[in-house]
Amino acid sequence: MRLQHYLGGLENLGPVNFFEKKVFMAEWEKRIFGIHTVMMAESVHLDKSLPKYPLSEVPTAFKDTWTWASLRIGAENMQPFEYFKYRYYEKWLMGISQFFIDRGYVTAQELATLTEHYRAHPDSPLPEQPNPALKEQVVRYLHHGDSGLRAPVDQVRFAVGDTVYVADPEAADHTRLPGFLRNKKGTVTEVYPGAFEYFVSTGPDGLDGPQHVYGVSFLASDIWGPDKSEPNTVIYADLFEAYLKPVHSM
Amino acid sequence: MSSLFEYDKDREAASAAKVRALEALLIKKGVLGSDSVDAVLRHFETVAGPFNGARIVARAWVDAEYKARLLEDTPKAIAELQFPGMTGAEGEHMKAVANSVTVHNLIICTLCSCYPWPVLGLPPYWYKDPVFRSRGVREPRAVLREFGVTISEDKEVKVWDSSAQIRWFVIPERPAHSEHLNEEQLAALVTPEAMMGVALVPSPPPA
Repeated sequence: MRLQHYLGGLENLGPVNFFEKKVFMAEWEKRIFGIHTVMMAESVHLDKSLPKYPLSEVPTAFKDTWTWASLRIGAENMQPFEYFKYRYYEKWLMGISQFFIDRGYVTAQELATLTEHYRAHPDSPLPEQPNPALKEQVVRYLHHGDSGLRAPVDQVRFAVGDTVYVADPEAADHTRLPGFLRNKKGTVTEVYPGAFEYFVSTGPDGLDGPQHVYGVSFLASDIWGPDKSEPNTVIYADLFEAYLKPVHSM
Repeated sequence: MSSLFEYDKDREAASAAKVRALEALLIKKGVLGSDSVDAVLRHFETVAGPFNGARIVARAWVDAEYKARLLEDTPKAIAELQFPGMTGAEGEHMKAVANSVTVHNLIICTLCSCYPWPVLGLPPYWYKDPVFRSRGVREPRAVLREFGVTISEDKEVKVWDSSAQIRWFVIPERPAHSEHLNEEQLAALVTPEAMMGVALVPSPPPA
């Protein structure tokens, strides 16, 4: 099991660092956020996405799929203490740098050498090489997004008001099932119209192709027990159909 | 947490140099243009941000029928306001939930950092931190108290974990004694924290 899949409910972590209202804790973090978002905007899957983008008209050397799933898989595969050790965008920087090395876009040596250069000369400029057509695609992507909405391939299995149990699939590299909900009893509160396809297959975890998604409510006391939960508290999660089982199957 | 771990003493300078080297290499290799990252950052200053959410909330406060439409079909009601980019990245499927005298809502993403970009912009650090993501679902009332918000036990707390396509945001309660304010003045009272459910909107100074 992956600790990252079970963050919800972990105890003894101390106070929330709520004084940190800043989005970026250091100026450099803006750049890695921007690089990631450009990668999403030029991901090769966008010529088949909703909406479809004219990617063939966008001049870029990027020839891979890059989505939220790519980043999340990286974070969920980290050594768990390292996951806690590093700040949010530090993890992004590690994961994205390694991706470009692994995929052969840059070599580790090139990156190390140029990093040394910028350590010694922090104000030395970036290369000046604008790409107006790519910039246009970035703006288009930010304005129109990448929806997982698809035509349903089968009938919905659950209706509003149904009692359901959350499945407990085999642990995989990546999941969209919050671990604290596994095996818990909930109530369907919403059946979302259409079906939704996640960016990648999660294998034995259960996401693969378009699925119905349900809003499911859980009493806090049903999740944490009466002594560990707060009164009059309900937790809602949006769950893909693969993560739900009918009550009579238990 | 940070006292548990040893960090390089020049942690920030090292990361700053590495990200600059990465961006420079990607520009040279044609993966990015030198104007690409800036285009992303500009989007979050001008198009997507909590200024949109604040205007949506203020409209809901002054127009009960609009509020009803917003809760019934959030994207359609947002589209009425004709802001650009409202179904864009991380806003493809948004839903609003309303605080009331009987319900207080809190949004969270326990698996990562899902957040409704078009209406709220980018999430603050604490929202992405494992401590909030761990505690917000088990002891939301305790976490809210740390934020300075006490919710009485007779009020229901609803926590919305963003685990699939929906990106949630909260319509906070309109503060008392705000009748003299117009829509724009009301919007100025609405903070990102209020639209995440970790803050209330305080009453404005008397007219």
